[in-house]
Amino acid sequence: MPEILKLMLEVLIFPGGLFVLVLGLLMKGLERKLRARLQRRVGPPLLQPFFDLFKLMQKETTIPEEAPAGLFQALPLAGACSMAFAAAMVPIAGAYSAPKELGDLVVLFYLLAVPAIVLMLAGSVSGSPFGAIAFSRELSIMMAYEAPILLVLLSVAIRVGVAQGGWIALSLNDIVQYQMQHGAFLFDPLMWPALLSFLLFFPANLGIAPFDIPEAESEVLEGPMLEYSGPLLGMFKMMSAMKSGVVVGLGIALFYPNAPAGVLGLGCFVVKCVLVSSIGVAVLRTSMGRMRVDQAFWFLLKWPGILGALSLAAVLWRH
Amino acid sequence: MKMLSSFAGKSPWLYRINAGSCNGCDVELATTAIIPRYDVERLGCQYCASPKHADIVLITGPITARVKDKVLSVYNEVPNPKVTVAIGVCPISGGVFRDSYAMTCSLDELVPVDVNVPGCPPRPQAIIEGIAEAIKIFGSRS
Repeated sequence: MPEILKLMLEVLIFPGGLFVLVLGLLMKGLERKLRARLQRRVGPPLLQPFFDLFKLMQKETTIPEEAPAGLFQALPLAGACSMAFAAAMVPIAGAYSAPKELGDLVVLFYLLAVPAIVLMLAGSVSGSPFGAIAFSRELSIMMAYEAPILLVLLSVAIRVGVAQGGWIALSLNDIVQYQMQHGAFLFDPLMWPALLSFLLFFPANLGIAPFDIPEAESEVLEGPMLEYSGPLLGMFKMMSAMKSGVVVGLGIALFYPNAPAGVLGLGCFVVKCVLVSSIGVAVLRTSMGRMRVDQAFWFLLKWPGILGALSLAAVLWRH
Repeated sequence: MKMLSSFAGKSPWLYRINAGSCNGCDVELATTAIIPRYDVERLGCQYCASPKHADIVLITGPITARVKDKVLSVYNEVPNPKVTVAIGVCPISGGVFRDSYAMTCSLDELVPVDVNVPGCPPRPQAIIEGIAEAIKIFGSRS
């Protein structure tokens, strides 16, 4: 019984659920503040995403007449839950190692696709034409980035697996352990193509400019979320906040997990997340326009794909 | 619950409805009042594309016969609690269009108006003051 209890705590409080939600919202707040400062504005307070969430929780919920009410309400919940589970599967070096019971890298890969699927379904279920456009956009972007990220995950897993005597390491704990002992992949030129590929993947997955095509406000009126209001919209905001924590956390675990043990390790993790969200996301959002969906599709298929294949070939060639 | 509602006033999301305006007020709204120079994001405001996400509805223009029903149906899409701000002199009296055959009624005969920002078009500072006033009302309503 305590096993189950421990798992539930890990999924709901730390590092899943509450912890990753607060981290994601803080990253979002910092990014909005920095973006405002880069444009020489004052900008919203750091805690603005929290205020937004609290406000959404008090608004009225409306359900469109054409939408099946059950599915319409279940979708945001499914998205948020999948991200809470995914967060519990990403180890934090020195502070937390993911339990085996939750599954390995393959399960995490599938869970990472859930928010995109939830958004697609939400868009098409809401009965709005803009939702349908968002559906096709989200689907084509997803088709383009899923293959390269698989190549990246494979090359890291094979690299660690071969070094450990097997041929593939599907546990993120092993990958983190290996880098703690032999140095981070961030400083290993052999892994740089994989790192670059991941860096191109993460704005596409998180819907950051120039890849914020499915949720484009000015063209498709935030697409999938168009018909959602109040707490259900808040649930989507929670999902995307947690997702940014998970994806950045996964990047840290794959390429630069090194940190001292204990609370310091947790601090290092938070600092790395904040650095990525501030430098990466804020600068990207301020400096980039939005690609057309066909441009983004070919860009994502080409460059991360080539880089991912290159890194896989390099890893296989080396062993 | 009390604490939660005190946070609501810090996150008012704006939605614009053009009810047959000449676009003067819309230009003031879109390019003057909301651009970085005046930055209403510091008040926690954010333009939203869907009426379902909105808290404060900004309505410009006289209510012409063509858009009257559409304004009402979009207004009804906005979930409660909501605050309405009439931008420009047109929603109040019709402004330069007041004797036109296309004019139907003033805005407050159609929906409850909380704040009026008169002007043709109003200055950005006036619009921001109107939004600040609306935020106070929104905070007390939620």
